[in-house]
Amino acid sequence: MQKKLSLLNKLQLLSLIAICFVFIYQFIFVDWNFFEYAMYIRTPKLIAIIICSFCIGYASMIFQSIINNRIVTPSLLGMNSLYILIHTSLVFFVGLDNPLVLNKNLTFMIDVLLMAILTIVIYGFLFKKTRYNILYILLSGTVLGTLFSSISNTMIRVLDPNEYDTLLTELVAGFDHVNTDLIMISILLIVLVFVIFFRDLKILDVLSLGRTQTINLGVDYDKSILKLLLCVSFLITIATALVGPISFLGLIAANLTREIFKTYKHVYLMLGSFLVGLIVLLGGQILIEHIFGFSTQISALVNLFGGAYFLYLILKNKGV
Amino acid sequence: MEVKNLNKFYGSKQVVENVSFELPKNKVISFIGPNGAGKSTVLNIMTRLISSDSGQVLLENKDLKKWNSKELAKKIAILTQTNHITAKLTVAELVAFGRFPYSGSNLNKEDRKHINMAIEYMELQDFKNRFIDELSGGQRQRVFIAMVLAQDTEYIFLDEPTNNLDIYHSSNMMKLVRRLCDDLNKTVTLVLHEINFASAYSDYIGAFKNGKLYKFDTVHEVMTKDNLKSLYNVNFDITDFNGKPISIYY
Repeated sequence: MQKKLSLLNKLQLLSLIAICFVFIYQFIFVDWNFFEYAMYIRTPKLIAIIICSFCIGYASMIFQSIINNRIVTPSLLGMNSLYILIHTSLVFFVGLDNPLVLNKNLTFMIDVLLMAILTIVIYGFLFKKTRYNILYILLSGTVLGTLFSSISNTMIRVLDPNEYDTLLTELVAGFDHVNTDLIMISILLIVLVFVIFFRDLKILDVLSLGRTQTINLGVDYDKSILKLLLCVSFLITIATALVGPISFLGLIAANLTREIFKTYKHVYLMLGSFLVGLIVLLGGQILIEHIFGFSTQISALVNLFGGAYFLYLILKNKGV
Repeated sequence: MEVKNLNKFYGSKQVVENVSFELPKNKVISFIGPNGAGKSTVLNIMTRLISSDSGQVLLENKDLKKWNSKELAKKIAILTQTNHITAKLTVAELVAFGRFPYSGSNLNKEDRKHINMAIEYMELQDFKNRFIDELSGGQRQRVFIAMVLAQDTEYIFLDEPTNNLDIYHSSNMMKLVRRLCDDLNKTVTLVLHEINFASAYSDYIGAFKNGKLYKFDTVHEVMTKDNLKSLYNVNFDITDFNGKPISIYY
């Protein structure tokens, strides 16, 4: 009982810090004469940050538990590169003035659809083919990722500079160009994902015992893993479509959470991962907006610290 | 539980060939045989960890593949040699996982009773709240057995339970297997490399060679000089010790 309470306390504490950050972000240096305008600018960004950290936090934690490894992120599945490829090809083949590019909702649907199909077809197929060897999946994800980015790079090289400039704002993660329309559809999709995958999320705790024990305890392992991978891919797609690729955030969030909570209970781990991600993102965004004066993007900061943290993790657990 | 005409191929190599037998209830059954004879594969097929290419495993006259996986987990439990766990788990928490097929993660009174019984039976009370990765190999093995006990199944399958254990812990493990059968009325099936352990603690022995079931019979029928010699291609002597045939090989 003692232990459960302290887990709950940690979660409460983390929530408190996150809420503080939310208020700081929302109200720091507000010119009260332009209060409404400031809120109009800041609120969508705040919501986007919350959605993004939620998706990335949950997806990374789920993904790490599927793979049973602490230093992987879902970006290893090649999702980010696929996102870049989809958007580059859209600009390349249909041009900037096509509704496919202009209508953000439509682009968003394309993203979600294509990434889900990729997950089912490639990873579902590979999973069966390789006798459920997760390492092959990671390897092919990395190779596919490289393939995708090579194709996009080739296209980018022959792209008109103006078009490239417009494209770039979508390829670099940031909260300065959040589309308000996407916020509603993202929230809807998240709710849908959780309704569909709710039962599969419950087996995450058991999954940490490995494949044999999971089967022994009466879980249809293969089906569940595929469904969970699908869930991860949906969440990553939502986050990526909303703000662009942020690869290291998940690594930071998931690992810090494991460090803080030291438990196998995924209810706590997933919520914690969301909150840590939120704190990191809000902290980074406050730094960017009020100290660096918008001279850099959040993805640069996240990748800088994420990279450093990644190195630290590798050096610390040489065995992983 | 009955096994009918099992076949399993890895590529073009047949690792299990036409294996059929019936598992006697409330007995200890040991699978022996040289490396690569297919005994572990058969055990894995019987516990649905891998699928067979043809043939059936029947539990209560119903094919394993037709069983609901949750229901099946209340009937059979398996413990393999590799139990590498990366998550931070305490002993009590791991044992509680044995109740997953019954209640998921929301444990009720009945579940708690089973968990406490299992912990007491395996004498784990003193380190109930220790983390799994802080335990020795022998202790960890006991924790896993406790989890299997909490699962409360009729059949228990153990894949080389004495692997990596010293003589003291191995013989304790075998005594435990005997008690599981005699006191708790479980049917325990295990893969063993030490044939003398198999002889001293089991009721039946299934001897495997080259993917085929060479012999499935009572201990005294299987543990003969000729059988063992053709099984392992090594010369054997059999002596009698407390009524059990003990083999000496050289």
